[in-house]
Amino acid sequence: MSVAPQSYQLSDYLEKLPGTTFRKLYQQPSTAFAIFRRMLPPLAKIFVQALLYMPSPLLLSELDVWVRPEAKMHRDRALSILRSLHIVQISPPGKDKPQEIQLTTNFKNSLRLALEGGGTHNSFGVPSTLPVDPRIDIAHLDQYARKKWEDILHYVVNSVPVHAEGGGGGGSGGGPKASVKDLLLAGRLVERRPDTRGGVAITQAGFTFLLQEANAQVWTLLLLWLEAADHSKAAAAAAGDHAKGAASQGKPDSIDMLSFLFMLASLELGRAYDTDSLTETRRNMLPALVDFGLIYIPREDTRQYFPTRLATTLTSSASALRSVSSGFSAAAANNPGDAASLGMTPDTTPTKGSLIIETNYRLYAYTSSPLQIAVLALFTQLNMRFAGMVTGRLTRDSIRRAISFGITADQIISYLASHAHEQMTRAAAAAGRPVLPPTVVDQIRLWQLENERMRTTAGFLFKDFDSPEEYVSLSGYAEEIGVLVWKSDRKRVFFASKFEQLRDYLKSRKKAE
Amino acid sequence: MPPKRKAPGTQAAAAKAGRTSAMSTPGPATPRSIDSSVMSDADEDFDDDVSEEQKQREERLTKEADEFVSKFTLGAKRLQSHPDEKGREPRRYDAATPFFRKRDFSHLPLKPDHQNRPLWIDPDSCTIVLERFNPLAEQATDFLITIAEPKSRPTFLHEYALTPHSLYAAVSVGLRPRDIINTLDRFLKTALPASVRREIENHTRSYGKVKLVLKHNKYFVESVDAEVLQTLLRDPVIGSLRVHGSDKITTSYAPTMAGLVIPGTQNAAGVHQANLKQAEKKPSEPGDAANEADLFNALNEEDDDDDKEAVHAFEISDNNVETVQKRCLEIGFPILEEYDFRNDDVNPNLEIDLRPNTQIRPYQEKSLSKMFGNGRAKSGIIVLPCGAGKTLVGITAACTIKKGVIVLCTSSMSVVQWRQEFLKWSNINPDDIAIFTAESKNKFSGSTGIIVTTYSMVTNSRERSHDSKKMMDFLRGREWGLMLLDEVHVVPAEMFRRVISSIKSHSKLGLTATLLREDDRISHLNFLIGPKLYEANWMELSQQGHIAKVQCAEVWCPMPTEFYDEYLRASARMKRTLYAMNPRKFQACQYLINYHEARGDKIIVFSDELYSLKQYALKLKKVFIYGGTSQAERMQVLENFQHNPEVNTLFLSKIGDTSLDLPEATCLIQISSHFGSRRQEAQRLGRILRAKRRNDEGFNAFFYSLVSKDTQEMYYSSKRQAFLVDQGYAFKVITQLANIEQTPDLAFATPQECRELLQRTLVDNEKGGEDDIETDDLFGKSRGGNGRNKKLLPGNGVRRTAGMLAELSGGQDMAYIEQNKAANKALKKKAKAAAGAEGQSAFFRKLQREKERSRAQARAG
Repeated sequence: MSVAPQSYQLSDYLEKLPGTTFRKLYQQPSTAFAIFRRMLPPLAKIFVQALLYMPSPLLLSELDVWVRPEAKMHRDRALSILRSLHIVQISPPGKDKPQEIQLTTNFKNSLRLALEGGGTHNSFGVPSTLPVDPRIDIAHLDQYARKKWEDILHYVVNSVPVHAEGGGGGGSGGGPKASVKDLLLAGRLVERRPDTRGGVAITQAGFTFLLQEANAQVWTLLLLWLEAADHSKAAAAAAGDHAKGAASQGKPDSIDMLSFLFMLASLELGRAYDTDSLTETRRNMLPALVDFGLIYIPREDTRQYFPTRLATTLTSSASALRSVSSGFSAAAANNPGDAASLGMTPDTTPTKGSLIIETNYRLYAYTSSPLQIAVLALFTQLNMRFAGMVTGRLTRDSIRRAISFGITADQIISYLASHAHEQMTRAAAAAGRPVLPPTVVDQIRLWQLENERMRTTAGFLFKDFDSPEEYVSLSGYAEEIGVLVWKSDRKRVFFASKFEQLRDYLKSRKKAE
Repeated sequence: MPPKRKAPGTQAAAAKAGRTSAMSTPGPATPRSIDSSVMSDADEDFDDDVSEEQKQREERLTKEADEFVSKFTLGAKRLQSHPDEKGREPRRYDAATPFFRKRDFSHLPLKPDHQNRPLWIDPDSCTIVLERFNPLAEQATDFLITIAEPKSRPTFLHEYALTPHSLYAAVSVGLRPRDIINTLDRFLKTALPASVRREIENHTRSYGKVKLVLKHNKYFVESVDAEVLQTLLRDPVIGSLRVHGSDKITTSYAPTMAGLVIPGTQNAAGVHQANLKQAEKKPSEPGDAANEADLFNALNEEDDDDDKEAVHAFEISDNNVETVQKRCLEIGFPILEEYDFRNDDVNPNLEIDLRPNTQIRPYQEKSLSKMFGNGRAKSGIIVLPCGAGKTLVGITAACTIKKGVIVLCTSSMSVVQWRQEFLKWSNINPDDIAIFTAESKNKFSGSTGIIVTTYSMVTNSRERSHDSKKMMDFLRGREWGLMLLDEVHVVPAEMFRRVISSIKSHSKLGLTATLLREDDRISHLNFLIGPKLYEANWMELSQQGHIAKVQCAEVWCPMPTEFYDEYLRASARMKRTLYAMNPRKFQACQYLINYHEARGDKIIVFSDELYSLKQYALKLKKVFIYGGTSQAERMQVLENFQHNPEVNTLFLSKIGDTSLDLPEATCLIQISSHFGSRRQEAQRLGRILRAKRRNDEGFNAFFYSLVSKDTQEMYYSSKRQAFLVDQGYAFKVITQLANIEQTPDLAFATPQECRELLQRTLVDNEKGGEDDIETDDLFGKSRGGNGRNKKLLPGNGVRRTAGMLAELSGGQDMAYIEQNKAANKALKKKAKAAAGAEGQSAFFRKLQREKERSRAQARAG
């Protein structure tokens, strides 16, 4: 039942795939290139580069020469990653033959192709030859992608904009598409809770999701999607053998989906690509990708698609894309037309925190992003809002509410710590203290502990007795046989863990009367 | 009834006046109880046996204060609710707006250079948020402390609130509404919202416009606005009270601070030297600018127009002062009292000055400059943390005014301390400073001087003795230049009323650390004494080393099941006893005492609960003081605590909360306290703020609050801390004391002992009555008797008695009891043995000698 805090990391996902899948994946140069770029630690990249144009396998002992003895740990890690991703083959240790290392064939060929160009694989997309609407520029795409993605995040923090004056939304007016919502529900990032606004509430996994870098968030969602596709395929396969062929054809194959994603990552931002050159299954994926905000398709001309920054940075290193927090500061600039704000901010300013938490539990956030405010509202009692700043305070109730959503104290603390304002970090560094006031951190933990002290006992409540005597005798009997959990003589009710004996006792007592 | 006034304000004023009159319909005065919890430990009882006339006067004052207060509360309400008016920016709406309900002000546009400005303001509640890390923060802080009430002052962002009271105070120290608005606007990141501007104007328009000044011993009603005076004169009541023969409104120039030097400040040092030599020539110096204002201005009329403002005044006679004051309040011009002490030549001057080596600290200077801002003495309250030198502020004020001073304290113990402080810091002739307490009733020898007394002595009107009566007549019969009111927060408002209506003083200065009351009586003080002139920032002072840095901790002590069971069933009073007597708490206390004694700390343990105070102290063999302890014994114990290296821990009941000066104490443990009283918490913390060692490298004082888990104490504790937490103190929660189980002789370590403790506690407290004194006598006798033959007096106390075995085994009402002696008694013995020995302070030695002499005389006679 209990969902362990899942971390949908791409690497975890890939490592679970079988070798055959990799062989298929590596047939696409874009995939091989993307994996090379995104998934490998620097040392592994060096190894790959060295091995790429080597005519024959390399002796493992020679590889060791390249690495300083003290960096052996890095070497081991690099090799294990390369092996788990099926990029290298290492011959089994033999008596007479020393161990050799070489790249797997498919990977080697594809990566060479990717680097050299050429071939007819169209793995890096086919640019559209049609005229491009000049209004679709990078700024437009950024704004579009941000809107889409923030809608999803808003949905997760359960603050879908409901325009009070508009009124006609009818519940599903705002927020992401239903399919995305289902995906989030299936991934348990949110769960249905009738008592909350909008009927859904964030879960612990959802909060983890919010805390991730935007890039990781996108991958989390995409991997959820891939998993869902696998499931439905499996379900379809199980449904009937006769549909088998159709199922495997019509439903997108998760491997193909994955390589399509890798292909998207290699496309150029701001450029139009041709939808016609895509295979059937890939064309079927487009609507979902539009919903995620990864690509943009002009309404009037569906033969073109534009990858957005969310897509093109999929395989760049994680920090190259804005994180949620830097996104906030970007949004804080509050200038929708500001093209640079989406992707460029992280380059110029390293993720700037915005939260100040005081020893008296007051919290000040330099932000005007509704999204960050909504995240704060999950565990803060918000008070005032000015242009560019909000004030609030952490209270026992606000933390308890967050904990009731499944958010843990540690998550809140790490959120506060990672978003701490530079003033806090500076003051802390000057005084040699932790960034967050220790008392506040302790208190948040204690508030959580407070909630965990409750013990539940399943059982039965006995009330509405005919007479006080009946109550006295029955509760006395319950105590005697050791099933009494709690009683209130004043209200004449008691709670017992079992009822069978009590029922019999009551019957016999009634009979006696 | 509505006052005639300049056009723009008419409407609002009319509404206000109307409401006020509605509120002041005669009826029973609001019930108010003497804060017995605070005062019951004071030396004397207050009795209600007051003369009729006195009562009437008090009633009148009560009513006035109520009106005054209700006016402000109305004002405060108005501060919050106003209709949305045109001219406002359209509100924006986005996904985050619902979180803030009505407090989303993101529509207020930021100024282009908002980065360089430190303030935000909430236009509805007038809450101000200040960025402490802003370059302008210092100036903004100085400004805000004058015009607003500090709400939260931790590290990075502070919050203040504009209240009618704070604005009143701002005006009274001489800020003009225009200045307030302009400065505020300069510091704000957004444009000053119209609503705030209006509020400031509303609340400052009438306040501080009219001043009551005593010049040449004649009362003048003074104002910078001639029209206001005309309004007053047209009023039938006031108009008729004007002294005839002075038909004209006299016009002079506003006083400035020119020439007035607060002693002890930096620039005082030089002037002081000069003054000493030229004492005789002084009157001719330009320092007395106000005296020769007319002449001076005639010469400089053109040049000084900007600096000096014309003031207009008319005279009223002495006996009509109160009537005029009241009338002015009624018509919406509360009168500010100012004392032009430099021009008072009726009351003789007092020879007093700070000692040349006395330097006052910057914040003390700042607070005094608020009081003497324009060269006259204003009445008001100065709020400084305990240990930050309130006494010195009072003394400096006295040295500035140099007239007769009456000092009112809460206990006779602090009376003694005040006198000593006066002698220590100033050059006053010891004969000029007298004490008026139950024990000693001296008068000063000269024509004027200083009297130090307690509130209760002054308010006690029962004819206790011939001496007291004579003394009271003496106090009532003269005019005082300054009335110093120590610890104003503890004294019930009635008491002030009685004091103020019976003793005439030209200016009043209230001193306190915590202007807080759980009931809302603080506002009455504003009427009775004056506005709050200054409030210091605790954290800042501690960073500057003026008060000790303190580590605060709350120790959670779980309750053993038996105790908790009993707790759930017990009555409210018993509950308090039970959570104080929680054996885990006892262990924590024992552990902490051991730990800190080993570190060389001097520890004070506070307990409100007398039963547990004694139990703890006796079990741990420590000295204790509570309300029933005699004066002599207190002295003895305190002296030992201060100087005896073997006495490192002192248990105190709530009598130690205020004005007990123990600079040796460096650690404080609180085992039970007065419900959710923020004031008590702050006052107790104050006991260790003046720690002598505070400026040692890395020195920290420690403040522990022990609370029993899952009891009401937890709730109260968080309430109590609210004030300190808002001052920036952080309470660390300790749930587990490391290695507590390894404490040697840990008390109540076995369940058996715990049960016994529980039984004993229940039995001892069965009666439930708070007969502290009585039970204490019992204790005193039995324990004291036993204590006599314990090891501290070796070879001396062995006693041989005949008895039966039955007696020893519990027959004949005799039972085995643990021989925990009261450490107090042991001290007493010891002290007597070594009376006058080294290590005692001169004061105590002298006291001791005097006591012995009087005893000898008595014996001889």
